[in-house]
Amino acid sequence: MGAQNFIRLTEAKDLIFKKVLGLCGLIVIGLVLGIFLTLLSKAALSMEHTGLAFLYQTVWDPVREHFGALPFFVGTMITSILALSISIPFSFALAIFLGEYVKDGPWSSVFNTALDLLAGIPSIIYGFWGLFVLVPIVRSFESAMGVLPHGVGIFSSAIVLAVMIIPYSASISREVISLVPEDIKEAALSLGATPFECITKVIFPYAKSGIFAGVLMSFGRAISETMAVTMLIGNSNKIPTSIFSPANTLASIIANEFAEASEELYLSSLVELALVLFFVTAAFSLIGRIIIKKWVLDK
Amino acid sequence: MKKETCILDIKKFNLHINEHHILKNLDLPFYRKKVTAIMGPSGCGKSTLVRSINRLNDAIPGVKMSGNMFLYKKNLLEMNPMLVRRKVGMVFQRPNPFPTMSIYENVLAGYTLNGLKLDKTEKESIVADSLEKAALWDEVKDNLHRKGTFLSGGQQQRLCIARALAMNPKILLLDEPTSALDPKSTARIEELIIELKSKVSIIMVTHNMGQAARISDYTAFLYLGELIEYDSTEVMFDSPKHSRTKDYLKRKFG
Amino acid sequence: MINTRSVEARLIKNIVFKSLVFSMSFIVLIPLFFILFYIVKNGISAFSLDFFLNLPKPVGEIGGGISNAIVGTLLLIVISSSIAIPFGIFIGLYLAENKVGLLPELTRLCVDTLQGVPSIVMGIIAYAWIVIPMGSFSVLSGGIALSLMMLPIVVKSTEETMSLIPESLKEAAFALGAPYYTTMIKVVIPSSKKGILSGVLLGIARVSGETAPLLFTAFGSPFMNTDILKPANSLPLLIFNYATSPYDDWQSLAWGASLVLVLFILSLSILAKVVIKK
Repeated sequence: MGAQNFIRLTEAKDLIFKKVLGLCGLIVIGLVLGIFLTLLSKAALSMEHTGLAFLYQTVWDPVREHFGALPFFVGTMITSILALSISIPFSFALAIFLGEYVKDGPWSSVFNTALDLLAGIPSIIYGFWGLFVLVPIVRSFESAMGVLPHGVGIFSSAIVLAVMIIPYSASISREVISLVPEDIKEAALSLGATPFECITKVIFPYAKSGIFAGVLMSFGRAISETMAVTMLIGNSNKIPTSIFSPANTLASIIANEFAEASEELYLSSLVELALVLFFVTAAFSLIGRIIIKKWVLDK
Repeated sequence: MKKETCILDIKKFNLHINEHHILKNLDLPFYRKKVTAIMGPSGCGKSTLVRSINRLNDAIPGVKMSGNMFLYKKNLLEMNPMLVRRKVGMVFQRPNPFPTMSIYENVLAGYTLNGLKLDKTEKESIVADSLEKAALWDEVKDNLHRKGTFLSGGQQQRLCIARALAMNPKILLLDEPTSALDPKSTARIEELIIELKSKVSIIMVTHNMGQAARISDYTAFLYLGELIEYDSTEVMFDSPKHSRTKDYLKRKFG
Repeated sequence: MINTRSVEARLIKNIVFKSLVFSMSFIVLIPLFFILFYIVKNGISAFSLDFFLNLPKPVGEIGGGISNAIVGTLLLIVISSSIAIPFGIFIGLYLAENKVGLLPELTRLCVDTLQGVPSIVMGIIAYAWIVIPMGSFSVLSGGIALSLMMLPIVVKSTEETMSLIPESLKEAAFALGAPYYTTMIKVVIPSSKKGILSGVLLGIARVSGETAPLLFTAFGSPFMNTDILKPANSLPLLIFNYATSPYDDWQSLAWGASLVLVLFILSLSILAKVVIKK
């Protein structure tokens, strides 16, 4: 019968469609696995040659094939922590401002648009602006302070990086604060608490693991930022001695040297840096997400 | 009961969701070109029953069904659900026209979604005919290519009825079709149901006793998944045999 | 019991806190204002017909333009979109339809991970996957790197919008006897097209400003190129190369290109909002 064949055909199409959907899911898993394995295989030579010393040696000298990544770990950590400590108070302020004080109205849309704009400006433009506007200011500040006036360096990149991650961390903190149930806020206010007390004594304690997760995720974001930092950090492969020193982060050393690296081992060492970067960012975002998920489920 | 032609004969039908026994050993014949109302307190399984007839419960995880549902000689439960659904139309509690489609496309959705090709004259006659049957034609004939979501709730529900009728179903299932509507639209739909029964057999779930009394020929009373009583509506409302039915009719269950 | 002084102290604390929150929020607007101010000021003075139509010229020659970078950026967007959009929609559909289970959970995890992969790492991946086997830098490899960055954005917006589609709409289609795949293609996908479109626009906005994934893929070029197997310029690459150059007219081109890029990204994000509100 025609109808039977038609149904059989339809059922086959349905099955194929569902399989194709599942296959698409598998492709994503394959992609992430592929990225990991590619980095691993390309980094193998460096791992074999330098071994664990890669992680703690202090000298990065491609000419003598001496590859120690410690300066970049230190550079990454200092830059990101500095950027985060600048941006977090502002992010929290914005999250509270938009989540508790100015929930709607024209000011709320001004600030939301501003945050969208900050998030939308490409990294390269932040770097460009930093180089031409911020660096001269930092340079004169440095000479006033009596430090070597490089202008470029950890300090300049941290400031720009801080501005860049404000929209991201503000939006996470806002989301976390919005998950605090309205009734416990009201309960606190009805007992006579001032908004300040409500925020510091009710909302923050309630949301603290969510906020912690947000900080972790912002940190992951900060260390993976490439272009602005590459342009502003001063491209130095020595361990930084102060927050004004030029340095390199994991991302910036790759951006600076990958295209010119011609030796196998040199390339492989740079890929190993990428592998570390991949691991660390994946770990931070994963741990952050797990904490938030657990926090939401627990409450 | 009078001699009627049985169109859908439910025999020993059981439905479990995981370990919960939702519908218990139902034996229920439905008659041709009649309106049968299914009543009962919330949670009695009346919606589950009509959804089973449309095989919509198949996709819900944990659902197990047993027994038979004969549409003429064919057991619905053994047929392909897609074929069943073309023979058994369904209208839901809340009007759900497809928001991306025009009124015209909504009526023809059963054909387009099933990949059935029609030429233009066929399309136009089906649209006009189904909208006529659903008493919506006069109100929308000048706006056929506007989105169905611009209509009022009652009109949307009649559009959904037209969409079901377009497939020429043997049976039309109505799952509390007026519970989301205002009294005026409800009255309009009730009139429509009475008109429609000369064309199609109707099974309607309702929790509104007045509605059942007004428009149905037969009434079945379900309680906690069991069929308590089933008779012509007249008999059910005038002289129910079972105490549960009497209680319910006196609104003891609310 | 209640001591008026302590109440006063609490109220003062509250006011101090509130003004702190307000002033810090307003401070954030300052860098934004300065960045936009410099881009617009320096960018507009670079604008001219030559700027949009000409190729970059060697140092010292006036009248250089960014036409090759505009074309290159558009090519990269076309390539990355044509990969990321269909895959993204299907993966989003898969995740919206399969909320529980090992494979969907794992897929979701991988989408999140993919979103977190640093852009420079994506550049290395596209270099390893495409540039090395094909033996040359190319627009194609850059487009693939960008598509990997765009994919999670499209997936997430698709999944989010589709999760909001009421079950009753799907049931309406099933009740008419529609098979699963037509229900998805003709009912679910069209009903979520606004959300998908806005996600796509945001994805394009995101990748059109990316530089790091292009450094070792599209690579940059001073010439006009429409061959996707050859290297080409893009706006961010041009900005990077010229911003770090010591020549004034090149820097001026970079400011102009920055303004073009910012305006482009801005209009995409505005469009994304308009689309979803309509």
